[in-house]
Amino acid sequence: MSMTTTETDEVVKESTAPRTPSDQRERERLRRRAARRRGGGWWPYLFLAPWFVGLFGLTIYPMLDSLYLSFTDFDLLSPAKWVGADNYRRMFTDDPNFWDSVHATLVYVVVSVPLKLALALAVAMLLNRPLRGIGIYRAAFYLPSLLGGAVAIAIMWRQIFGGDGLFNDFLGWFGIKGQDWISSPDTSIYTLVLLAVWQFGTPMVIFLAGLKQLPKDVYEAAAIDGAGAMTRFSRITLPLLTPIVFFNVVLQIIDAFKSFTPAYVISNGTGGPLNSTMLYSLYLYKKGFTDLQMGYASALAWVLFLVIAGFTAVNFIAGRYWVHYDD
Amino acid sequence: MGHQISRRTLFRTASGMAAAAAIGGSLSACAGGTGAGTTSDKLTMTWWGSDDRHNAYKKALGTFQKSNSKIKIEERYSGYDGYFDKFNTQVAGGSAPDLLQMDTALVAQYARKGVIAPLDEYVGKSLDLTGFSKTLLAAGTVDGKLYGVPSGIGVNVLTANISGIKKLGLDEPDREWTWADLKAFAVKVNKASGGKMFGVDDGGGGTLQAFEVFAREKGQPFFSTDGTKLGFTSDTLQEWWEYWAEMRKDKASPGAAITSAAHNDLTKNGVVIGKTLLTFDSGVYGAGGAITDATLDFLPTPQGQWSGAREGNFVNGGVLLSATKASKHIADSVKIMSFFAQDKTAIKDMQLLRGIPPTEKARSIVSPDLSDTDKKSMDVADYISKRVGKATDALPAPAAPPKGADQIWDLLFQSNLAIAFGKKTIKAQLGQFFDQAQSILSQ
Repeated sequence: MSMTTTETDEVVKESTAPRTPSDQRERERLRRRAARRRGGGWWPYLFLAPWFVGLFGLTIYPMLDSLYLSFTDFDLLSPAKWVGADNYRRMFTDDPNFWDSVHATLVYVVVSVPLKLALALAVAMLLNRPLRGIGIYRAAFYLPSLLGGAVAIAIMWRQIFGGDGLFNDFLGWFGIKGQDWISSPDTSIYTLVLLAVWQFGTPMVIFLAGLKQLPKDVYEAAAIDGAGAMTRFSRITLPLLTPIVFFNVVLQIIDAFKSFTPAYVISNGTGGPLNSTMLYSLYLYKKGFTDLQMGYASALAWVLFLVIAGFTAVNFIAGRYWVHYDD
Repeated sequence: MGHQISRRTLFRTASGMAAAAAIGGSLSACAGGTGAGTTSDKLTMTWWGSDDRHNAYKKALGTFQKSNSKIKIEERYSGYDGYFDKFNTQVAGGSAPDLLQMDTALVAQYARKGVIAPLDEYVGKSLDLTGFSKTLLAAGTVDGKLYGVPSGIGVNVLTANISGIKKLGLDEPDREWTWADLKAFAVKVNKASGGKMFGVDDGGGGTLQAFEVFAREKGQPFFSTDGTKLGFTSDTLQEWWEYWAEMRKDKASPGAAITSAAHNDLTKNGVVIGKTLLTFDSGVYGAGGAITDATLDFLPTPQGQWSGAREGNFVNGGVLLSATKASKHIADSVKIMSFFAQDKTAIKDMQLLRGIPPTEKARSIVSPDLSDTDKKSMDVADYISKRVGKATDALPAPAAPPKGADQIWDLLFQSNLAIAFGKKTIKAQLGQFFDQAQSILSQ
């Protein structure tokens, strides 16, 4: 009580003296904090409500539900039975198909992501110059990304790389007798990689936006100092672009891990031959919807979630050492 | 002056949020089901099949509605791919169809899980099954109760390209033939075509028309009667795979690449692309109309040439019609089943689109209008069912396959393919096959 009185006294006393700007700012800050504490009314939440409904109803709840299901034996048709960590144990110790799918997915991620990003960057640099009709070129290069997820493209891919497909016709011009690339367990995964690389449009557009932002004066200075094109690329473009590269790397890795449609369509839903195109998501789908092992499929989904989260965390940590921000 | 957002923060936040959204999608996309239930008073009927089958169903249902205008039917149809994936999701979401075309291979699973309804209380009343033989009804019977009305007789046959055989100057194999005859014939095809063609597609991974019959000829069923174990021995499977390894070596059968391409894709089947003259895949003629221009004929799966070989062929029930247990329209669904089983116009519309008609009466109704190939198909089915009926040493027709059966059939296919690609030896694959099969069956 006495404290408060003293304070008030001080304030009253001070009020006669000229206020310093710092006092005024302090007062303003306190008032704002108080307003914030009162919450500013309920109406902001009303505007956010549709998003919250979506977040809780369509994301958080299904996620928690699948976490629960991953500890059960659930066939969709009869009630889930609690089995503890049995699904996880089975996955790692008693399911060779699981390891086949892990292998196929890792090959897919490790090969397709770097190739796709390199191609995207190369094309972005080609398209980052004042050419007549450059907009048309950009659209043309972006097009595969728009079509890429489509079933029709995957079917076309199957035709192109099949035994009597377009690709072998092309090889035939040079007297090379090609094999059936889709139905050989040694090559089929690479047809999927090629399809992924072909859809370089999204990272390309992001690279292009990044390239447009790079300061021109640095290049001019470098050119005057006699730096060649390669030096300018490796010493200026790449370092300045690392935040964009990082963004693309993170997203493409996640996307590659989740890839489903091309593998499903190209292998006719089998993941074959010999599980060579059994991407993880496809295996998960087969377990859940074909073999009716929803509990097991949920466990697979959570392992995938943790693996992707792990990869992403490693990316963010490693990023500290190679990503340069221009603060 | 507000807080200055640095480039670093902006990028890190953006990357982080995009990453979180992308990762989260991997989970939520797979979980949950729709809560929508059946709200209308319509009876929903689903089936899979070819366009011909769709049209036949629709035509017959049109006739049915003329005399049953109170029953409103909603028809949903598709190909076989994804048909049961969708059905499972609908059952889980409470929006299952009332009446559906059911696969004989899956009826036991759905019956035991209580998804489909037993029909015994209707038999002889609103469900008229006059003329259906007991062996035929076994295809829809699970644990002594009837869960599905068979659409027709299904037998295991090889499909032969007759025009191709004649072009090479060869004779069509006799119906009474053995595995040794098949091999001799297939080698002749390769020689006569100058190495361009193979006699028969690789059956080493085939179950229904192939290995199951072979095992039965050895006196071993594919699954034990209670469905908890495999019914055949490792020796039997080894002999089978060795037979096919020799077939591939002698160019009687094509290599792994062709077998692999044709898996789940009829358009790449050896007979369709003109690489082989015989195929184990009944889909080439399948549900109405061939997908090849060649003249076709059908042969029973070969018999064993060893002493003591038993009759291995058997008769099953084509496809079934089943009603879901949660349906409010079971009585109406039963009326439709009965209509398809006995009504003259329905039988005429369906022809052989759901297998050889189940009763003597139905067969005599369709036979005048049949195409030549349809007639041959009916003839060989008749031939096989008579031979099986006369045989004294045949095992009983296989019981409805247990849960996980389709995984084991796929395992058989994949194992044979791994051997064909040279990725595994027969010995190594044998051990792995039995381990994995047992693990699947015990789940």
